[in-house]
Amino acid sequence: MNRNPIDRRTFLQGAGAFAATLPFGRFAFAAEPAKPKELIVRVWGGEWKDAIDGGVSQSFAKATGIGIKYDETEDNELQPKLWAAVKQKRRPPVAVNWDTTTNATKSALKKMGEDLSDLPNLKGLLPVAQPLGFEGYPLVNVYSYVYVLAYRTDAFPQGAPKSWKVLLDPKFKGRIALYNDGIGFHPAAQVAGGGKVEDIPKNMKAAWDFIGKLKAQKPLLGEDPDFTNWFQKGEIDLACTIVTNARGAKKNGVKVAWTIPEEGAKVDTDALWIPKGLPANELYWAKQYVNYALSTEAQQGWCDGLGLPGVNPNINPPADMVGDPAYPTKPEDFKKLIRVPNRIQVENEKEWFGKFKSIMQG
Amino acid sequence: MGASVMLEALEGIRATLWPRAFKRFTGAMLLLPAVALVLVLVAGLAWMGDASLHLLDTETFETGADYTAANYRQMGGQATYWIVLGRSILGAAIVTLVTLVLAFPYAYVMVRTGSAWTRKILLVSLFLPFFIGQVVRAYGWLIILGKEGLLNSLFGILGLGPFKMIYNYPSVLFGLVQYLLPFAVLLIAPAVTAIDEEIELASESLGAHWLRTFRHVTLPMAKPGLVAAALVVFTLALTDYAMPVILGGGTNDFIANAVYDAFFRISDSGLGSAVAIVLVLIATLLAAVILTVLGSGTLGFSAERR
Amino acid sequence: MSTVRSKAVVLWTVVVLNLILLAAPTVIILGASVTTGNIIAFPPEGFSLKWYGKVFASVVLREAFVRSLWVSIVCTVIAVPAGTLAALALARYRVRFAKLLQLYLLLPFTVPLIGAGMGMLMLFGELGILGELWPVGLACCVINLPFMIWAVLASANALDTDLENAAANCGAAPLQAFVTVTLPAVAPGIITGALLMFVLAFNEFLVSLLLTDANTVTLPVSIYNSIRNVITPDLAAVSVVYILVATLAIALLDRWVGLEIFLKSK
Repeated sequence: MNRNPIDRRTFLQGAGAFAATLPFGRFAFAAEPAKPKELIVRVWGGEWKDAIDGGVSQSFAKATGIGIKYDETEDNELQPKLWAAVKQKRRPPVAVNWDTTTNATKSALKKMGEDLSDLPNLKGLLPVAQPLGFEGYPLVNVYSYVYVLAYRTDAFPQGAPKSWKVLLDPKFKGRIALYNDGIGFHPAAQVAGGGKVEDIPKNMKAAWDFIGKLKAQKPLLGEDPDFTNWFQKGEIDLACTIVTNARGAKKNGVKVAWTIPEEGAKVDTDALWIPKGLPANELYWAKQYVNYALSTEAQQGWCDGLGLPGVNPNINPPADMVGDPAYPTKPEDFKKLIRVPNRIQVENEKEWFGKFKSIMQG
Repeated sequence: MGASVMLEALEGIRATLWPRAFKRFTGAMLLLPAVALVLVLVAGLAWMGDASLHLLDTETFETGADYTAANYRQMGGQATYWIVLGRSILGAAIVTLVTLVLAFPYAYVMVRTGSAWTRKILLVSLFLPFFIGQVVRAYGWLIILGKEGLLNSLFGILGLGPFKMIYNYPSVLFGLVQYLLPFAVLLIAPAVTAIDEEIELASESLGAHWLRTFRHVTLPMAKPGLVAAALVVFTLALTDYAMPVILGGGTNDFIANAVYDAFFRISDSGLGSAVAIVLVLIATLLAAVILTVLGSGTLGFSAERR
Repeated sequence: MSTVRSKAVVLWTVVVLNLILLAAPTVIILGASVTTGNIIAFPPEGFSLKWYGKVFASVVLREAFVRSLWVSIVCTVIAVPAGTLAALALARYRVRFAKLLQLYLLLPFTVPLIGAGMGMLMLFGELGILGELWPVGLACCVINLPFMIWAVLASANALDTDLENAAANCGAAPLQAFVTVTLPAVAPGIITGALLMFVLAFNEFLVSLLLTDANTVTLPVSIYNSIRNVITPDLAAVSVVYILVATLAIALLDRWVGLEIFLKSK
């Protein structure tokens, strides 16, 4: 199934133009560098893989003849392998890493990634595409996503819950779920606990107090697939999770909806980046892959699959996400959402993680 | 004939390379390959030991060049680690006890049964679960014990429940018992085989209740197997990672989960190494206690045993 | 008579409980693999073999299966001699620092697998052997080695020392005594150990995860990765294929050497 066939000639013209615009440097070959047989791209599996495969990889492969092979290792688990490879000057296990921006930022701080500033398709992207606090583009953000409050519609006949405080309702004891590192929940907890977003990371007492109260509610803690699974198996009524998981459960026939409570919800991004240490020709084609992934056609197909707003402003939302507050595109949409700069996230993650664990494992 | 000629030739090579005068060292020589293999782990431990002595700078995500005990201090100062460690040790102890209690009768019946078919069925039942990995087996239990799972729907027919049977501490221990049971039986069975049935029969014919015979004759004689099983089950349960993740619902972590979190979730290999090394030390210490208190079990030497 | 019956009742109650414990997940997985639905569920929705079709059609899974076979073979081939010799040394010879040595040989079980995996990732990376398959087999051998040692030790303990001495006294050369007396006596332990090593290597995912890449991914790593993403019935189907292969292997073993060999030495 190829949802977005692109005209082979158009793409190659683009690629040729790309090489021609660079007067010097390693791309200044008369002809394009030798094509590798395949490129390895790290992806999350399931719907995530289907989305990038249908939206980006298949058309890229068709246009270039380069096969795309997937490495489905979790981003967290691939990271030490990548770091070890770059440090030991070995060829990295993947050519393109689809990663959370937080993890990609850590790698960028360690100077693990190739600079992507010369990709032509960076022009015209939303500002959110650019990583903050770096010179150039050691990574490029590809879409935004919101940590929504997902709920089982059966449990809420009156309609969507208004506030994150619903998690403290004794009725839902043992029937709520969060990510097992608390990720995505801190800003919401900070506001729901009576604190201010501006006080992150200096004074987060409100957030910790709120999470402390939540511990008494015996939450389940898990990862992306767990949420879908738990909704399907009737284990939970409420969860703080990425909208994609709730949408996935809904598509599978589970009666699930989501909302952005009055306190707001955290918005974050995922990124693509290319680790150092690839052979020159593979680097060239890996860059072409990333460049193509940012094009309007590819972004449209990829983000349709995910139900998430891409960084390319020219794409249209999928039908079921039109007008959804969890599909922010305009500045006023973003006002309801809370963004924690990734550098702050990265610098404080260890401490936040430790605190969250000490509350939940206590 | 060919085989014996070859054996003779090999004997010649052996005699040249390993004359009888070296006999004293034969034991050490035989141990060499295994010792060398474990050396791979020791190299890893050395790397972790070094990593654990450097502190991660979260502004650059590089580890500092200075040697420091900060990772160990941080671990020691955080109550979470002690709670999780205590939970792991207690859990491993309970799992060991329950597993042995379940495994011994199974091994006993398997060895003693007069029916070859019974023995075969018991053996095959033991081996088959090995072929479905730990993770998939744990997911099987989620389907059986979940809120809308098989058991709860049976209870529902009887008008009971639904009960919450998973995502708690007991379900983690249950999963571990179920996972480690076949290992325990396989280590106990040879020890039971070695017991002369006549001795048991003699005890019973003298009027001893079978439970007394079990306690005073069978169990002591099977001790080598029980100790080996205890060591294996205890250390594997103590260092397990998967069961707490799948059956614990995220709030019943064992210490190996803390190692995972440090290495993978917060990208702090120094802290992860420190936790791992503390775990190795504690597990080794407890294994030493088991060895000393219970005797060396199947791992013993012929001289000690007889 | 009544005590004999009470013994049988108690023992068999525990055995049946064990059998249920051992069999339940297998039965569930078997059932879940034939569902027509998209999620693992029991009882299954309807009956279809579509997930088996998906499994057999998957080139990725097939390649991973072949790699896992290779990893298991490497693991077993290294473990059998190393573990057998070590076990015999521990059972037959006076070794210095025996207790310390025992604890040393227990390291594979006391080092958490993630630590072991990280250590080997760094070591193998440094040696430039990552990306090949045999180091994965070596790794699986190292982390499971105590099973091999103990399986053989269990047999060696049941072995009569007098027999070996008799052979030696009759003038049998050391190697000859070893091959004709010692080895046959511990054969059950070697077979049990070899089978365990093979199967455990075939199922190992945590250390293998760190030592493989997209070109060398093994079956358990592939299964683990998909479980981390989305849990679909094809995983159940893969497991059932495992079980069928295992049943066949066990049946052949029974035919050729007899399953009794696990319990009794010749």
